[in-house]
Amino acid sequence: MIRKFNVFLILASILMLIGVYMLKFSIEGTAAERSALQAHIAEQEGQLSLLKADWAVLNQPAYIEPIVRRHQAELAIEQVQQKQFGAFADLPMRPAKPDTAAMDALFEAIDNGIDPIDAILELEGIE
Amino acid sequence: MAVVGDEFAPTISLDGARKARGNLTQARIRWMILALVIGFSLVGGRLIQLGFVETDQRIEGQTRDAITATRPPILDRNGLEMAVDIRVPSLYSEPRLIVDVEEAVQKLRTVLPEIEETWLRNRLSGEQGFVWVRRELTPAIQEQVMRLGIPGIDFITESKRFYPAMNEASHILGSTNVDNQGIAGIERHMDSESVALLQELGLARGNALTPVELSVDMRVQHVLHDQLLDAMTRYQAIAAAGVMMDIYTGEIIALASLPDFNPNEPATALVKDTFNRITAGIFEPGSIFKTVTIAGALDAGAVRINDDFDARYGIRFGRFTISDFHGKNRILSLPEVYKYSSNIGTIRVMQALGKENFRAFLTRMGLDARVPFELPEMRLPSVPKDFSDVGAATASFGHGLSVSPLHMIAAYVAFVNGGNYVPPTLYKRDIAEAEAQYTRVLQPKTSDLMRYLMRINAIEPGGSGSQMNKLALGYRVGGKTGTAEKVVDGRYSSSKVTNFFASAFPLDNPRYAMVILVDEPKAENPQSGTTAGWNAGTVTGRVIQRVAPMLGVAPDFSELLDKQLVPSVLR
Repeated sequence: MIRKFNVFLILASILMLIGVYMLKFSIEGTAAERSALQAHIAEQEGQLSLLKADWAVLNQPAYIEPIVRRHQAELAIEQVQQKQFGAFADLPMRPAKPDTAAMDALFEAIDNGIDPIDAILELEGIE
Repeated sequence: MAVVGDEFAPTISLDGARKARGNLTQARIRWMILALVIGFSLVGGRLIQLGFVETDQRIEGQTRDAITATRPPILDRNGLEMAVDIRVPSLYSEPRLIVDVEEAVQKLRTVLPEIEETWLRNRLSGEQGFVWVRRELTPAIQEQVMRLGIPGIDFITESKRFYPAMNEASHILGSTNVDNQGIAGIERHMDSESVALLQELGLARGNALTPVELSVDMRVQHVLHDQLLDAMTRYQAIAAAGVMMDIYTGEIIALASLPDFNPNEPATALVKDTFNRITAGIFEPGSIFKTVTIAGALDAGAVRINDDFDARYGIRFGRFTISDFHGKNRILSLPEVYKYSSNIGTIRVMQALGKENFRAFLTRMGLDARVPFELPEMRLPSVPKDFSDVGAATASFGHGLSVSPLHMIAAYVAFVNGGNYVPPTLYKRDIAEAEAQYTRVLQPKTSDLMRYLMRINAIEPGGSGSQMNKLALGYRVGGKTGTAEKVVDGRYSSSKVTNFFASAFPLDNPRYAMVILVDEPKAENPQSGTTAGWNAGTVTGRVIQRVAPMLGVAPDFSELLDKQLVPSVLR
């Protein structure tokens, strides 16, 4: 009885030993994987920091202005002048009521076969 | 035991039961001893094995955190990066692992020829475990060195500060040393505040820190820097500087001083004359100081806006006679004293106030103490403790005392914002925060009069700001010129001058104040002069013409706005 029990204990301890070692090796494997990932992340963070720095340089007014100046003539752009600014308040008000006489004249003209828009287009040489 | 054993003994027994049992026990003991010896020798062997293992003493394993210590990114008020951390490779060596020092030296010098040979040889000889060879290299050089395949030479990644705007905001940002510690500018201030502590506690290690937001607007900063560079060549000046401030929050919108340096190469900051003229330069302010004198006298009620002052003759102090630069030689009204920048008139204004009151007013405006400001590069102003009669007279038009342009802008801000002194700052601040730090120095009605005086100097014929106004038409700018003669060989020289233009815009509802300095300018062409209106004034005009739309100030040509500035007594 005792002998059987001892055999059982020995087998059990061997099994547990195998189990513990398997666990140990799998953890070591995971740790290696983790440190590899960490190294990878660090490397990518390094690359990311360089890309971010590049992006910051490309966004600097000091970087953009020379480009604008270089293409100034080609794009026909000039520095904005004060007189080019306007405000909504400066727009003329909408006429109080529609100009009915002009509208009537327009519709009559169209009825008579004269299209003022066509006349403009012909004048401009379009069509 | 023996007694029990006897009954089960075999029929033929060569040995006695006691002997047989004894033998068995001895055999068991031997097995046990063997097992123990094997066990202990295993442990001992392992110990010896461990004794031979070399521990990892390379920097990789130990101090990686300390050298990748990071700093928070610095952003401008719109979120554009002004300083970021980048990871760069640094070359180090383990001299005790180097087999052939001579070979290593020759090979390394093929890639890094700028390293001195004997220095490198000494560096790589010996038994040390770790020495730096070159820090903060480029990935391309790393690749080349790795290809050489020298044993005992390796790279490690370090954090390095990078300033994408290069020179543009150099005096604001300052720089950091190779160990990522701030040594100048706002970087140094950040360290004294919090970053150094974080690094020490190990919290600033490779993880993202909250960005620091500055009050600076990089667009405005760029325009200011660009125009100052232009001024340096246009007027062949030895230096130029400028600062713009939000008058209600006290935020510095832009601050530049030329010559400057590239913070990416901290050594360039050591070149002579690259100091920050806005905070660390003190100058005789010249006529822009008349604004201070007049503001003090108006606020105390010593003079009124419609008073007249006799500027027909120079004022004598013993041997000296002080007269006007562009003398009108007639009786001038107060606005005319300001507009024609009359020294005589200003002395009379100061005398009406009294020299003790005048001196006390300078203290109230913070002109004789350090400006509370973040940058460590600051110089104390030089203002006499007590004024003599002649000392007070010259001080009233800005001679015989020296202050920094930062002092002047802080004073001008108070003149136009309703009379509150607000300490300038480089960090983002909202109005509520700023209001808590307001000190009332002028009555609001004095501030209204100062706006009027500054504006007429720009729009009325003969005003010294008319050059400026021509360029910045519609943006309702007003300001005061200041041409301060420099002392050369003990006397004031009329050819070497420091020119200032202190301004504010849009004056109908002011938002920003600016001080521009141009040092020792020459005439741009034979038709122009060297007084401040020709250089500092036009620089101001050009800067405002470009930045006003960025700052949301739309041009308005309506004369009504200027008319509204005129005080009721003069209408």
